[in-house]
Amino acid sequence: MIDQFFYTEKGNFMQTLHPAASLTYIAVLLVLVLAFSHPLYLIGLMLSVVLAIWAAEGLKAWEGYMKLALGMAVLIMIINPLASSTGNTVLWLTPDLPGLGVLAITVESIFYGALMGLRLLIIVSIFCLYNQIIHPDRLLNLWPRFFRKSALVVSLATRLFPVMTASLHRIKEVQQLRGVDFQAGTLRQRWGKYLYMFNILLISSLEDSLEMAEAMQARAFGSGPRLRYRRDYFRPRDMLCLISCLLAAGIALYALFDGLGTYSFYSGWGDMPGGSSNLPIMAAILGGLSLPALLSWGAQHCHYLESRI
Amino acid sequence: MPLFRVENLSYFYPDSKKPALQGINLEIGEGEFLLVTGGSGSGKSSLARAVAGLIPDFYGGKIGGRLYFKEQDIRFIDRRSLAQNIGIVFQDPEKQLVMTGVETEIAFGMENIALSQPEMLRRSAEVMSFFDLTDLKQEFTANLSGGQKQKVALASILAMQPSVLILDEPTSQLDPLAAEEILNLVKRLNEEMNITIILIEQRLERCFHLADRVAVMENGRIIKCATPEETAVWEVKNGYPFLPPVAAFFSHIEAQDIPLTIKTGRKLLHNIYRESNPYQVPAPASEQSDLNAKPRKADNKGDHSIRDCTRRKTDFTLFTIKEKYQLLFSKCRSRAGKISPETPVAQINKLWYTYPNGKEALRDIDFSITAGEFVAILGDNGSGKTTLLKQLAGLIGPGRGQITIMNNAIGNTPPQQLARLVGYLSQNPNDYLFHDTVEEELKFTQANLGQIDNGHIERLLRRLNLYPLSQVNPRDLSSGERQRVALGSVLAASPRLLLLDEPTRGLDQRMKADLNNLLQDLLQTGVAIILVTHDIEFANQGARRLVMLFDGRIACDGPRNEVLGSSMFYVPQIRRMFKGIDDEIFTLREAVARVRPLWAARLIAK
Repeated sequence: MIDQFFYTEKGNFMQTLHPAASLTYIAVLLVLVLAFSHPLYLIGLMLSVVLAIWAAEGLKAWEGYMKLALGMAVLIMIINPLASSTGNTVLWLTPDLPGLGVLAITVESIFYGALMGLRLLIIVSIFCLYNQIIHPDRLLNLWPRFFRKSALVVSLATRLFPVMTASLHRIKEVQQLRGVDFQAGTLRQRWGKYLYMFNILLISSLEDSLEMAEAMQARAFGSGPRLRYRRDYFRPRDMLCLISCLLAAGIALYALFDGLGTYSFYSGWGDMPGGSSNLPIMAAILGGLSLPALLSWGAQHCHYLESRI
Repeated sequence: MPLFRVENLSYFYPDSKKPALQGINLEIGEGEFLLVTGGSGSGKSSLARAVAGLIPDFYGGKIGGRLYFKEQDIRFIDRRSLAQNIGIVFQDPEKQLVMTGVETEIAFGMENIALSQPEMLRRSAEVMSFFDLTDLKQEFTANLSGGQKQKVALASILAMQPSVLILDEPTSQLDPLAAEEILNLVKRLNEEMNITIILIEQRLERCFHLADRVAVMENGRIIKCATPEETAVWEVKNGYPFLPPVAAFFSHIEAQDIPLTIKTGRKLLHNIYRESNPYQVPAPASEQSDLNAKPRKADNKGDHSIRDCTRRKTDFTLFTIKEKYQLLFSKCRSRAGKISPETPVAQINKLWYTYPNGKEALRDIDFSITAGEFVAILGDNGSGKTTLLKQLAGLIGPGRGQITIMNNAIGNTPPQQLARLVGYLSQNPNDYLFHDTVEEELKFTQANLGQIDNGHIERLLRRLNLYPLSQVNPRDLSSGERQRVALGSVLAASPRLLLLDEPTRGLDQRMKADLNNLLQDLLQTGVAIILVTHDIEFANQGARRLVMLFDGRIACDGPRNEVLGSSMFYVPQIRRMFKGIDDEIFTLREAVARVRPLWAARLIAK
């Protein structure tokens, strides 16, 4: 089950993109989701990300991510109106709560909370997209020379995380069959049982790390300067994707300077800033961000296009 | 000029007073295939690490004597050049892979020796092609099977183009087919590329005949180093068990030339049988207790009732005190007495199971096991063996169908409650060990289940030969000892059904014989045992009933002789050799008892 959260080689178009192009695409998406506060822009961004995830054949994994993130999004939507009483449209005044006083639940704070929840969902979706299209080893090739050791540590951690998750699951099974009931007892007792489990994992992992270090030494690791094995090609598709997402980023920057793409929630209900001028700007940004997914669809359906890019 | 020259080599691990290696003198020629065998803790792996330059460089400790590689003292060869010349592949593929992807893993060693980009590309393409890994180059190493992981580890070493390849039990974690593939590749490397091979191995059926010389180690010393034929004769004469069944058989009957392969063995057998009528000679009994005992009439009905599950002593028995197990399992026996041998301890009806990822792991399984029955489940990786064990242990509930363990329906009973009835030994003994002493480790299970000790733990410790180690930290023990502690922590609950998942991994021949004896003792107390294994030789020794799983279905289920008699690939070596010559022979003991008189008569006639 947990495998679906990580990169799996599917050989699709999105996975063949050069890691520099993929990373730029992900970075632009991430910056824009943090920069925009306009609900329409955010909804548009969400659609672009989902389109890209669909192109990367990751919708099933995305469902898993959403199941995890939705709970948090709902929590934000609940907490924000309770924490912020700002806003003109008061829906309800709470009774005098000890230490908190009377809280005003406003439409604006609910709306803002919902938007923050949406933003969280988009960020999680971008993370999902990242995991679906960028092979960790290929990403590490981009790291500058002086970060090579850190890159190796990241690679090791990436490799060992699923291994350790599987070990933890196995250890829990063994403990259950030795009579340990993880549901029984007080919170403290239950915590103690889990502590046993993590203790076994820690000891075993330390033992394993020695063996791994030995295997690395046997392959001359640390015997002097090392070179990086590179195998990525920069194809026309990478150039197209890079240009399109940088263009989208440029237009977004222009829109933000022009006061578009933002929305002030607590200054009372009003028209969307920029009004109808938002639409062409939004279309241009979302078109640019959707190009990788569109190219993917095109390459799937048109052999000529696939061979040219 | 030898490639390696070892002179009086001794070595102590840090903080150890016992030498891991002592007085080793050895020469290894270029292009030679040296097989190193011996019991657990005999120093095989330490020798491999010393030859690879990892001892004392990586481990520290005290070293004495000299080790020369190409007439150069290995201590003065720089690490990079050593790694380029001497490659070493370890036992567990999981613990030697560093990178996330296959291609980058293969390139890891080459990156470390700073090869140029074109050279790295060329070499990685070559090794991937040689090892048939090209289709997997983008794959995550975590998603590979054990055999594929070991191939990747081997390919990564080979990409550095070493002239010597050391393999430390490379097949111990693999299924028979994957093990065969790895050993065939090693053979090709030796024969076609003249790479010197030093192979440390305990599963000797597939590699004994490949070696130019076999070295036997004990207590850190090489006690014999000669051709495989000479070693086989010497081992039998001196009571050492480190032999493949074919060589052991011919050494036991004292043949002059020892065949090492089934093909050559069959030729000799044909001659022996042609020159005599074996059925005039008293036939062996399957339960005969000693290889040296006189043969008696055969009983190969294949019945797998409790009555037939009598304990069979082997040559290498360490646990011989019958009183120990009588004391130990007296409590179990009294309980077992209440159960009729015909009453199923576990019953599975029309079981289906599909994993959340959609993989249908078990299909339409009907199975039952009675008290005192020993069933071995065979099958390739992914056939559903471990899933079936987990179902029986209650770790996963049935998708469809029903499982009952002594009238407790699985699905309704949580695993921690089933633990009183079902003992489960998983593949990795380390998953059990976290207490400060062995004794505490065993008591932990009892305490969780609210059982009263009554001296059970002490008897168990004695029976498992762990009593002297009862106050030692389990993590300070050898792998074989850890396995026994894990088994002890399972047996502490006095389970009625014992589930064993690949328990012979990493065990030497003596330890396997010990384990088999222990299991036979448990059978006599009415415990039912289900063993999942790739070790056909071990299954053949202990189990009276075999089940073969294929793609989640039971392909066959029957008495051992019937299943092995009709199988083509899941067959022990002795059975393979005798197939079509004498179809009643399945074990070494039976073979020796049958053929020894024929051989003697043949010699007299000549």
